[in-house]
Amino acid sequence: MAENDISIIHPRPSSIVAALYTLRDLNVDVAILHGPPGCSFKHARLLEEDGIHVVTTALDENGFVFGGRDELSSLLTKVNEMFNPKLIGVVGTCASMIIGEELREPVQDANLDVPVIEVEVHAGYPNNTKGVLIALESACDAGIIDPEELGRQKILLEEATNVEKRHGAASREYLTPSRGDLKYKVAEKVIDYLKEGKRCLTIMNAKKETGYMFADITVAINEVASQLGMEDNVINMANVDDTLGLPRVRHHAKSIMDDFTEKGITIHENIGGMDEYPITGEKVSGLITEKYSDFDFAVITGVPHAIPMDNLQEMEVISVTNGPRQVIPLKEMGHENVIVEIDLHPKTLGVNNIVESEFGATIREVAKDMLERNSEAV
Amino acid sequence: MMAQKRIAIYGKGGIGKSSTASNVAAACADEGYKVMIIGCDPKSDSSITLLGGKRIPTILDLLRQKLDVTEKDIVHEGYKGVKCVEVGGPEPGIGCAGRGIIVAIQKLRKVCTSIDDMDLIIYDVPGDIVCGGFVAPIRKGLVNQAYILTSGEYMPLYAANNICRGLIKINTPLSGIICNSRSVTREEDIVKKFSEEIGSKLMAFIPKEQIVQDCERDGFSVLEKAPDSPVAGVYRELAHTIMSNEGSVMPSALEDERLRELTR
Repeated sequence: MAENDISIIHPRPSSIVAALYTLRDLNVDVAILHGPPGCSFKHARLLEEDGIHVVTTALDENGFVFGGRDELSSLLTKVNEMFNPKLIGVVGTCASMIIGEELREPVQDANLDVPVIEVEVHAGYPNNTKGVLIALESACDAGIIDPEELGRQKILLEEATNVEKRHGAASREYLTPSRGDLKYKVAEKVIDYLKEGKRCLTIMNAKKETGYMFADITVAINEVASQLGMEDNVINMANVDDTLGLPRVRHHAKSIMDDFTEKGITIHENIGGMDEYPITGEKVSGLITEKYSDFDFAVITGVPHAIPMDNLQEMEVISVTNGPRQVIPLKEMGHENVIVEIDLHPKTLGVNNIVESEFGATIREVAKDMLERNSEAV
Repeated sequence: MMAQKRIAIYGKGGIGKSSTASNVAAACADEGYKVMIIGCDPKSDSSITLLGGKRIPTILDLLRQKLDVTEKDIVHEGYKGVKCVEVGGPEPGIGCAGRGIIVAIQKLRKVCTSIDDMDLIIYDVPGDIVCGGFVAPIRKGLVNQAYILTSGEYMPLYAANNICRGLIKINTPLSGIICNSRSVTREEDIVKKFSEEIGSKLMAFIPKEQIVQDCERDGFSVLEKAPDSPVAGVYRELAHTIMSNEGSVMPSALEDERLRELTR
């Protein structure tokens, strides 16, 4: 069986959900799921935390047999009256796509004075990035993004898929979820290294809004280094370029960078946009070769498996992910410690500032204890 | 350069759509037109008489095997270069044949570059318009003319009338009615009257001839096996009519009572 033909049997995010998140990044005010009421409910509700309304046409068995054109059309009218949106997205589901529902016709029936992005997608694609792609192509057709941005996004999507196949959740048939290493033990190690004067690279390579929490780890390490008088031993890299990506993605980059600045954190190397996590690896590798090859350890947060190990071999690597199925592949890549930030996503939706991470909080608490013990000993 | 003609032929199951479609395709090929026939029926018998009785692999069969399908896998040349494609379908009682048509046609459009070079593309659509998938060729903008095939019997006319309702529903005009005779009393008059009352016209009356069945049994079109037979001439005339027909109207469906009156 070819490497890319692995039949993955653990559940993973669907193309429908990926399309919903893409609509969110395009700043739609309302997303309509055209299908059964339970489809993608967890993410649909999560996205409501992020400020968009997600509703469903709630197709039932009758709808599967006879179609749901009228239901979609009347729901479009209803949400237009209820929420006064500036941009609407309509997303297909497995049920509506299998029965051959057209999204264009109900949109025309509703005849709203609001642009509508129609995403004919189901969850039966091997790569969930297909949902993103279809949403972006529809957005381009509707004039919401230009062909240049569409082309850029296509390159990123292709590489995101490759990253997942190489070392990520799509790298093997079944991956056992894991909570990773104990946070307080790893926190102790990081603090000890800083105390010993070891040189640290923090590399935040976060996917979009997850950066709000991963950034806190960069902040925590810098706070402790500062308390120890070792701030010059820490170099920070982060993908916070606010000139790249879809509207909401650029907003996240700006918000996080503003918070870094306000907290006095210097980002020495801005490694790309918040949607560029699949392609930052090469840049990070180049920077390490040029400037930081003699560093002792690296703390990589976000999507650590996208950073190649080529130039990290001489360093101890500690990584922080939000994917419990990412632990095994990261360990196999050679990361000494892997930490999982559980429930990261619910805590980073709907926020505009850096939020506390478990690992960041642990570093701060452990540092407080260690420093107190040291002062008592003196 | 003539505009590409993309037609769909609808009608009750077993009324002779595939037979008519393949004979029209052969007649047009005889005239030098570049023709493609896309059979959308799970039976995959639209092209069999253009290929000497041979069945070709269907798009859905290949997709079911998860093969990386290319144009040469699914487009097969038959009589006088007619390009033959069969959509195929799921096993009876499993899945959704309508959705299969959508998926297969999307795949065809993606991998088949020669489709744009055709003068005539015939979609031989299965049976009645029973679900959204069956009108996919029209809804996806792949068809610019729709024809209905019927006989003078009540049930085929009932189906034809229902198809008119479907065409109205999807806002698609009708380009004509074709009668494939079952030797019913007053048949041509009945179908002609029906055509007029729904606002359309009778394009051709194909007489019931044993030679059609005989050629089919041997795996050939009438145009190929019995080109000098009178019915071959009828197909030629129909092909000519279709290639020159530009008119189409939004049909109106009849009440059932009126349908019954027509056939009494």
